[in-house]
Amino acid sequence: MTAPSTGRSLADFTVELDVYSGPYEWLLALILKEELEIFEVPLRELVGLYAGSRDPEAANALDRDTDFAGSAAALILLKSRTLSPALEPEPDGEDAAAATPEELAERLQEYLKIRRAAEHLRDRLARAAGHYASAHTLPPKPGRLRVSGDRVTLAARRAFSRLVEPPVRHLGPITVTLQELAGMIRSGLFRGPVSYEALTRDMDRLRSAVAFAAALSLAQEGVVRLIQPEPLGTLTLEPLEPNR
Amino acid sequence: MTPAPEHLVEAVLLVSARPVRLDDLVSATGLSEGETAQALENLSARYSPEDSGIVLRAVAGGHVFSTNPACAVAVERFREEARPAPLSGAAHEVLACALYLGPLTRGSVSRVRGVNSDAVVRNLLERNLLAEAGADRDAPGSPALLAVTDAFLAVADAGSGEDFPPLNSLVSPEELARVRERLTSSEEVPDEKEG
Repeated sequence: MTAPSTGRSLADFTVELDVYSGPYEWLLALILKEELEIFEVPLRELVGLYAGSRDPEAANALDRDTDFAGSAAALILLKSRTLSPALEPEPDGEDAAAATPEELAERLQEYLKIRRAAEHLRDRLARAAGHYASAHTLPPKPGRLRVSGDRVTLAARRAFSRLVEPPVRHLGPITVTLQELAGMIRSGLFRGPVSYEALTRDMDRLRSAVAFAAALSLAQEGVVRLIQPEPLGTLTLEPLEPNR
Repeated sequence: MTPAPEHLVEAVLLVSARPVRLDDLVSATGLSEGETAQALENLSARYSPEDSGIVLRAVAGGHVFSTNPACAVAVERFREEARPAPLSGAAHEVLACALYLGPLTRGSVSRVRGVNSDAVVRNLLERNLLAEAGADRDAPGSPALLAVTDAFLAVADAGSGEDFPPLNSLVSPEELARVRERLTSSEEVPDEKEG
């Protein structure tokens, strides 16, 4: 019989590494939050620590093993992605072929240099922090503005690039026009004032919206007067010109 | 009374928030290049961190007056603003890529770092530490090339890109050899028959 799984079978597993000392679950959280570099975590040592702490007789041994294997596999995947800079495949298929150990070593060495340079920059920026320049800002000098052709091209390309048009297939074909509904309102007014509700009682939402626009249009032309005694109250359309 | 060369240079520098290049100082003050350079040297001595709350810095190819970092807390309290948050490790790596390998495209930065760096690049562009400097016309779509800005040189207290140590000097050959050895040896399947 196995103990019911609590979902935190590794809660009591703690690790002692050069870069971290404490609960294993916190180690995972720190890695996921990118507060600890996966690059610096010795996975082999981690597996060794788990193997050393493993109690095969424990009631939740299977849960623990499964959870650890799952999280360790995720860490390996994460680390391999960090170390192998294969992102999107190159258009010419250059990266499609698996990188040789030599190529990987080259890349890793290059990354290591950049990493050290980043550390140098961090220290340098920290040392230089706290300098505040004059608060007086010079106005731009249009006469001496240097215009780079490349930058103008980039800016123009951005400004004139066509945006992706939104899909409109779900809207269906247009089946009603403003003129059509204006004509319907005119004919509805033959017998005198009529309420907007009565006019649009049998219409769907699209037609009633267009009918409202048509009523506004007719009111602007001086054909009808819109009467609404109180906000959101009944809207009545009253003819202003003699009906033909 | 004709002002002394130092006074002229000092006055021009006082009203500029950005580093002023030597030729701009020459043009503004009407002094010769030699007189201007001498004035800058005299001013550097007068505005040293030990003697003044204002320091004269030679950064980003020019000279600029800044407050002494030792007085930063008082300045920040007066301006009622906190010191900008330090950059993340990822941002430092992207800046290092642009500084040492640039100008280069976003894709190249991501390839070197092994992770997508678009968000970090965007943040650095907004902070004016990176700028687009042309386009890679040989690549599909002519992606923009990124380079560090004068503002970056100013915050790094550097006169130019030459003020940074060479990239190859930052990692020892032994460390590089260890990396190569670890990767190449881990690929080899041990042959039990040998040995």
